[in-house]
Amino acid sequence: MSLRTSRRLWLVFFLGPALLLFATFMTYPIFSALAYSLYAWEGIGQRGFAGLANFVRLFTTFPYPRLLANAFSDNVVVFILTMVIQNGTGLVLALLLSRGPWGARVYRIIFFLPVTLSLVIVGFLWALFLNPVFGVVNKALTLAGLTGLARPWLGDPGTALVTLTLINAWRWLGFPTLVFLAGINAVPDEYLEAARIDGADEWHVMRTIIFPLLAPAVTIIVILTFIGSFNWFELPYVVQGVSGGPNRATDVLGLLFYRTAFGEVDTGLQDIGIGSAIAVLMFLVLVTVSTVGAVFLRRREVEVG
Amino acid sequence: MYVRRRLLALVVVVAFIATLYPATVRAQEPVKLTFWSWRTEDKWAYDRMIRVFQTRNPGIKVEFIPFRQVEYNTILSSGLTAGKGPDIIHLRAYGGLETFAAPGFLAPLDFDKVPELRRFSLQTIAGARSRKDGKIYGVPFATQTLVIYYNKKIFAQHNLSIPKTWDEWLSTMKTLKDKGVTPIANGGKEGWTLEILSGVIAPNFYGGSTFYEAVTRGQTNFRDPTYTGALAKMLELRPYMPQGFMGVDYATMQQLFLNEQAAMFIGGSWEIGFFKAQNKNLDFGVFASPAVRAGDVPWVSSFADGNYGINAKTPHMDAALKFIRFTATQEFGQMFTDLLAQASPVPGVVIKDPVLQQVQAMNRKATPYIMLVGFRWQAPTGSTLLQSALQGMLAGGMTPAQVGDEITRGLSAWVEAFR
Amino acid sequence: MTRSATRGAGTLVQAILLANAALVLAPMVIMGLSAFKTTREIFQNPFGLPAVWRFENFNRVWVEARFGQYFQNSVIVTAVSVAILVVLGAMASYALGRFRFRGNDLLYVYFLSGLMLPIRLAIIPLFILMRDLNLLDTLWSLILIYAASGLPSAIFILTGFFRTLPADLDNAARIDGASEWTIFTRVMLPLVRPALVIVTVYNVIPIWNDFFFPLVFIKSDHLKTLPLGMTTFFGQYYTDYAALFAGLTLAAIPVVVLYVVLSQHFIRGLTAGAVKG
Repeated sequence: MSLRTSRRLWLVFFLGPALLLFATFMTYPIFSALAYSLYAWEGIGQRGFAGLANFVRLFTTFPYPRLLANAFSDNVVVFILTMVIQNGTGLVLALLLSRGPWGARVYRIIFFLPVTLSLVIVGFLWALFLNPVFGVVNKALTLAGLTGLARPWLGDPGTALVTLTLINAWRWLGFPTLVFLAGINAVPDEYLEAARIDGADEWHVMRTIIFPLLAPAVTIIVILTFIGSFNWFELPYVVQGVSGGPNRATDVLGLLFYRTAFGEVDTGLQDIGIGSAIAVLMFLVLVTVSTVGAVFLRRREVEVG
Repeated sequence: MYVRRRLLALVVVVAFIATLYPATVRAQEPVKLTFWSWRTEDKWAYDRMIRVFQTRNPGIKVEFIPFRQVEYNTILSSGLTAGKGPDIIHLRAYGGLETFAAPGFLAPLDFDKVPELRRFSLQTIAGARSRKDGKIYGVPFATQTLVIYYNKKIFAQHNLSIPKTWDEWLSTMKTLKDKGVTPIANGGKEGWTLEILSGVIAPNFYGGSTFYEAVTRGQTNFRDPTYTGALAKMLELRPYMPQGFMGVDYATMQQLFLNEQAAMFIGGSWEIGFFKAQNKNLDFGVFASPAVRAGDVPWVSSFADGNYGINAKTPHMDAALKFIRFTATQEFGQMFTDLLAQASPVPGVVIKDPVLQQVQAMNRKATPYIMLVGFRWQAPTGSTLLQSALQGMLAGGMTPAQVGDEITRGLSAWVEAFR
Repeated sequence: MTRSATRGAGTLVQAILLANAALVLAPMVIMGLSAFKTTREIFQNPFGLPAVWRFENFNRVWVEARFGQYFQNSVIVTAVSVAILVVLGAMASYALGRFRFRGNDLLYVYFLSGLMLPIRLAIIPLFILMRDLNLLDTLWSLILIYAASGLPSAIFILTGFFRTLPADLDNAARIDGASEWTIFTRVMLPLVRPALVIVTVYNVIPIWNDFFFPLVFIKSDHLKTLPLGMTTFFGQYYTDYAALFAGLTLAAIPVVVLYVVLSQHFIRGLTAGAVKG
């Protein structure tokens, strides 16, 4: 066997299995998902090519357009709220931890703890806590004299989504905190020393040195938050059920997709055509925004760096 | 390092074999049938009834596997389409049956295969037929009625009796509330419980079966003020529901009534056995949603709850048929009613539970539970639309007229008469 | 800044950090304490210590509610998936990182594209694929999809590490007559051990905690993994608050204990993908 052939065989040996696994269970399904949306379906049986008929139905037949718009806007709301509340707080905590206060190492370990918990656990736990009759949250609020705040947080269409986002933030907070902390700690001390010696106050140091050099961490967090917000499924499913209640207030694209593909509470009717169309839409949104966002944010990094 | 690699490979191989093992062992056991259902609360009774069957049929084992009711349809649907469903299937009726019968997932049962079916009334069998080909796909197992449960002790404590009119009922609830008792346990977190609430309250106001006939024939739709007016009456119950009722889910509702923290529970007749089992000291009774005028007999919503069916692809058709025939016998029906206090449609079954007897008496003026019976044939179902809309209405975001409009618009996708 | 101002700021910092720590820990402490109470006690005394420490709640959940079975399934699925993706990922990364060949960059980007792909959106074709492969309702349906979706990050991390190793290392071994496999296992792998740990940790938690794929693929109760089993459990024990909290605590303990013991590795591993960028 020539050296070249033997080398080729080794390459196949090393790369082959991974390639096979990846192509079969990642690439092929993704492309199929896109293809499925272009066919008509009866249950799970594929019927002829339907072109864009599924998309037309999704965008014109009541109640789908409204469900789609509602779910999409819910995802956007979740993204914005998460960016502000979760990542904003994470940044603040990271800044505080970076100063090396007493117990910083212990705090780091504690803050990151919920990130290791399953969303199912987190969802069920908070659903029990937020039960308006039996849950500890309302009991605590009443004990603290804040009876006015002891409301059905998860049952009121006006507060359900925000409450879910807060539960989500509780669980994820440690993650951006530690990513930002790593980013801040990566800033060379000389820059900070120089600025402080020059008499700049903390806020100035933050603004001109730390924040710009945090750009890469910010990029990662923004993109991951975006992907996470648009892929939201486990938490609303476990806490509010597949319908995204009350009255679709917590309905997100992930739930809508799952419902159309696998059936609602009251019926097992599947609409794979529309389900696939929703999947294609979600895919386009995710890939487009992630790519555009990544390019945009990277460019900012380069400018600053 | 090398050892670790080898160890890793060993783990993988062992794990692989371990997952294969059960499949090979199973081939030598007696015939095992899986039986899927949504009745998690009834498992104990089914296990007992199955044991009777197994004693008589030693070569067959049946395993009753219940799923959460809100997930059952999804799980069954994906299971059947995957070719991985159960052998015996607990099925719904009407549209719920059609969903699985039409694609051919169910084995048709005729009078030759299940002679016991001949004794059932035609009306009962109607809920087990597919509209598409008229064939029977299951053995009917229960009919359910929607009622109001009340705590007799609490009523006695406050000198209250069963209200005879709607207004009297409202004043009863006001009395309870003034005395610090939560009148109704119902909440709005789970949409289907609101659909049930409407099924109890609304028929007296929209005219029961007359309206049902009209709307299913397409002579009217859900924008009809008769119907929306009936829905509006649900709003009058809001002050008497628990604090923060929009966040109260089904489990909490049941607990409130069971713990005697609420005086009444508006729900289905399937709760009778559950309430008795969970709290033996609970002294409860039932009454129908009161009529508008004194002296009128009130309507109650009722429906065929479903059927026991067989998976068309089951590898154990003979054993499955044996079990299905067992469920059609009077012996099974009697056990079912005795253990679970639910109304079995098997002819000849005697109802001994006093509360259930009262429920049966109410059925003299029964009307079909409107969305479940008439409008679950295709997506979006009337139930899905009604459930979300009622949540909106009770939370204050939608008017009854808007609810009616939304339902009609949604249904017009497949109900031609509504376009 | 004056000394008192610094101290004032320091106290404020501590206050904020302490408050957040309380917010993080309180729910878990309450969950753990409730697991030892009776349902009635949970309602009447939600914040206090249990009057009697009822360990039987845990026994009930482990045996009756089949938690032991769910736990076992999670262990099998996680261990085998991670084993496969580490082995296959290391092999592929070795080839990509140490060999020059046409298409090397293309393949690398191809694998990396998986990082951005939301594989969940392909659940319908995956469902049909598993059905056609007769893998539905088996643990293998989960293992294969977890291994496949873990490959991109594994290859991303490992290729980087392989590339940093000295160029002549494998050539020297080749001249000595060692086979490619020996070079890979005896020379290269030991040197990238930190990366292997990172890849393992990065994948263990998401796979252990995953709920979506078991939800769609697994129907039989004896095959459910822990997160899915919890929904079954909640469906059956929904009036039994004591059992519910015991179940939640049991489900949380393994990960929490593991985390506290290996916190440094976890933090490094789970933020690896993010910080590497």
